[in-house]
Amino acid sequence: MIRLSKVKTDPVENLKRHAEAIGEAVKQAIKPDRVTVEYPRERRKYPECFRGFIVFDKEKCISCFRCAQICPANAIQMEYFDKAYPGIDYAKCIFCHFCVDSCPTGALNTSKVHDVAFKSMDEMKLSTKQITKVPEIVREEKQTVEYYVDRNVWKLVRKKELDRLEVPPKPVKVKERKAACTEPESCLGCRLCANVCPQNAIKVEKCEVSIDEEVTGTGCILQIQTDLCTGCGLCVRQCPMQILTLEEVGE
Amino acid sequence: MMDIINYLFETFSSNMMDIPLIAPIVDYLMKIPVINVLVALILWKPFFAVIIMPGLGVLVLYLLYVVWYERKLTARIQWRVGPLEVARPIRGAIQALADGIRYFFQEAIVHREAHRPYYVQLPILAFIPVLLPIMFIPAGSAVGIYTPYSIQLIVTFIALIPITIVAIGWAANSRFAYIGSVREAFMYFAYEVPFIIAVISMIFLYGSGDAYVAVEKQSAIPGALLNPIAFIVYIIAMLMATSRLPFEIPEADQEIAFGPFVEYSGILFGLVMVLAYEKLYIMTLLFTILFLGGWSGLYCPLLGDLNGPLWMFIKTIVVISILVIVRSIYARYRLDQALRIGWTSMLALSIAALVVGGALGVWLS
Amino acid sequence: MDEYVLDIPVEPPKELRSLFIPIPPEYVEDTYKSDDFLILVGPQHPGSGHMRLIVRVKGDIIQEVIPDPGYVHRSMEKLAENRLYIQNIPLVERPAIMDAPNFNLGYVRAIEEALDVEVPERAKYIRTMLAELGRVGTHLYDAAILAVFIGHTTGFMYPFALRELICEALVRLTGARFTSSFIIPGGVRRDADESTLKWIYDMTLAMERRLKSFERIFINNPTVIARLQDVGVLSKEEAIKYGVVGPFLRASGVEYDVRKVEPYEAYDDLAWDMPVSDAGDGYARFLVRVNEVGQSLSIIRQCIKEMPEGRVISEQIAENGNDIRGSFYDSLSNIVLPSGEYTTLTEGARGTIVFSIVSDGESNVPYRLRIVSPGWLYLRGFMESMKGERLADLQAIYGSFGYFPPEADR
Repeated sequence: MIRLSKVKTDPVENLKRHAEAIGEAVKQAIKPDRVTVEYPRERRKYPECFRGFIVFDKEKCISCFRCAQICPANAIQMEYFDKAYPGIDYAKCIFCHFCVDSCPTGALNTSKVHDVAFKSMDEMKLSTKQITKVPEIVREEKQTVEYYVDRNVWKLVRKKELDRLEVPPKPVKVKERKAACTEPESCLGCRLCANVCPQNAIKVEKCEVSIDEEVTGTGCILQIQTDLCTGCGLCVRQCPMQILTLEEVGE
Repeated sequence: MMDIINYLFETFSSNMMDIPLIAPIVDYLMKIPVINVLVALILWKPFFAVIIMPGLGVLVLYLLYVVWYERKLTARIQWRVGPLEVARPIRGAIQALADGIRYFFQEAIVHREAHRPYYVQLPILAFIPVLLPIMFIPAGSAVGIYTPYSIQLIVTFIALIPITIVAIGWAANSRFAYIGSVREAFMYFAYEVPFIIAVISMIFLYGSGDAYVAVEKQSAIPGALLNPIAFIVYIIAMLMATSRLPFEIPEADQEIAFGPFVEYSGILFGLVMVLAYEKLYIMTLLFTILFLGGWSGLYCPLLGDLNGPLWMFIKTIVVISILVIVRSIYARYRLDQALRIGWTSMLALSIAALVVGGALGVWLS
Repeated sequence: MDEYVLDIPVEPPKELRSLFIPIPPEYVEDTYKSDDFLILVGPQHPGSGHMRLIVRVKGDIIQEVIPDPGYVHRSMEKLAENRLYIQNIPLVERPAIMDAPNFNLGYVRAIEEALDVEVPERAKYIRTMLAELGRVGTHLYDAAILAVFIGHTTGFMYPFALRELICEALVRLTGARFTSSFIIPGGVRRDADESTLKWIYDMTLAMERRLKSFERIFINNPTVIARLQDVGVLSKEEAIKYGVVGPFLRASGVEYDVRKVEPYEAYDDLAWDMPVSDAGDGYARFLVRVNEVGQSLSIIRQCIKEMPEGRVISEQIAENGNDIRGSFYDSLSNIVLPSGEYTTLTEGARGTIVFSIVSDGESNVPYRLRIVSPGWLYLRGFMESMKGERLADLQAIYGSFGYFPPEADR
């Protein structure tokens, strides 16, 4: 335990402290340890994991709605084209990147862009088309600045080369999963899963059911076409009987 | 009509600055009618001292310089860059000018509670005690009005400045301005007594209130070494008087938001803001005369009479440039602590300086 | 000097009635009758922050201070009741921007306690490091605010420049400068690579060196000592009575630190000291925090040196132990806590943070989330310490407590 007590304030001690303070100021005036980054003229180098403008890859998207549902700020709204794709409202986005981490296919990716100006609030609502690539920004900077530290110094290292603002997409290490039905006999036939499926991979058909010879009737049979299924899990979340699940397939 | 002009020309040309460097141009211009009166007027020693150097002309230049320099130095000590974007090639050197222009075109608001006539007049009236001392400050052979009591006169005018600041606070009629005025009044008494005693000790030392005598006596050893105690007291009193940082109590912006000047805006704020800088300039001129040997310095024959004012100006600027560093070193004292410093240690030091000054004065004479 | 009571009819100023101040009109009348004066400091004042202080002064001496907080109240507890457990993480770190890791940690630990999740060792070390980075950042921020309150401009600029190193460390580690939302139930979102850890290690050393400049020009500055020493004194008994927490409690001589008393994460395995001061004045409160910065930097270095290998996310949460990317939604969105109340104590930079989650056992949002932030806890002691001081000391005491209205108001 460090025990501190009152500092002494006798005149000799005070004069020493005055001298120290003045000495430090004079030292800095002569040889300043300047750390200013002159921002529009030079840009900080940020690491690959920097959480910036979110870039969307339409090819990889499976319309699973995970990003829209995890967003704590409700900033993502889905737009319907042939499938549903996310658009981001940057008036609401808090850059927590829960959506990027939620995306099972890596369709959402970060970038190092952090300085986009919008003319109005309406413009901040970016549609899917606008987030498929890094927005056009005017690069005024002539050099890139990096903070260099070692045991003794902290200084700015300026390099002539410009930083790439795009971040190469990283593969996602998730096992591929497909929808499967655990209890087909419990199916109600409500067809919510079939309606919600973006790939039309689920078919619910009426069929004759017979438990024994006396009890017969019509029931439903649920068919999942595994070759079409992307494993988005929308049907799993929709099913009122909770009989659908995501099962791991292969590696 | 011609008689008057001729009379004026005679008066001016009989007492002109002799500067060998520009002598050919002056000689050429003196042959042209009308213009020769103007040239003679500009080079007339009293006019030159008051209006050009070390008077109003360089005062404006100094204001532009010191506002920029102070910000730049503070930024340097604080690991920053400081004003840069106005005229980037010269490192933002005309930032103060840009600020001045902005103040000029900003609306000067007079709020409802203010005493309107005084509120508008006082920032301008405050310039009287600030600028009048220039008349009596000699620089070499150039002097506005010569008097053997110049040092006393300058001190008198400096002592008048806080009264206008208190009046500004009263006319603004706001709580913060009121508190600021009271603080200014308290501080006034705390620094004025040691300050005047320190100056008196130097007058004792030189045996005269005449700036010429003071400078002449310092030809061998500067006053700062003759009476170092008075030197220290004068510097601290100068920091207090111009409310620079350890004693920036009347204007404390975190506590009372610029004190007496809280309600001002536009060009009126520009005027009251430079008041402290002008006071600093006047006090540093006196400081140069009393402690640093005034206008004496290396004589350059090419400059002739300009040597005196130039040396005076250079010394003043150097002193101010060193002084503004305190802004980035110190925190603000509380009012009672500043008053304690003023009434105990500084008063004691100034009396010690008086004794030293008196003894040395007797010994020197 | 004797005081004479003069029976002069005084009328309190009329605007006091229209300002909605939380004091009864009788109090105002009583103040004006007893020759006192009411001063409203804030909420629009360069030295008050987002709060109003109703100061009753006699001459220049403060008689009583009544706080009027709540100007930045955001009803965090109610908002939390409508969000998934995981979506509350960005919300709970918002109160104190720089101290976000500690708030995040406290909330996540409450969830882990409920779910009985075992956190991997490596994740514990990374969390400890993050928490200490947040602590250093907050202390620097508070030092800067203290400096500007007593008029020291260099003392304002240096800590903010130094805080840039903390921000850079957080960027390299988490991707965001602050409010990183990096700590999740069962670990942290991503593993830290070797080069980042080395950078942070070097950063702490470089920062210590730069702190020496700050020490010479601000901490040991005679004017600073003159302003803060013997100002706003809270004795040991008073500090305990008024429920002061954190470094401010330790500055009054009470040896209490949640990290020592109920160690969480990796604090038990690391060697560090608790700075305690006996003086209890403004300067002691500042010095305790200055010493804590040194200790925190040492903790960060130890964390990096002794960091074990392995997963950073628990097996109970995700299969991939190094990066939550891809399985964030599937593993964390559907958390349902068993019914009950779960409370954690966390030592934030400004003191003890209490998180209490009440779960009904079936919904995926909290039934009730109680956040008690340190600012709210020491507000009383802060107000009491100002009694008997000069009005000009109000800002100095304010700065010495590092009071942060958004944190207290939540």
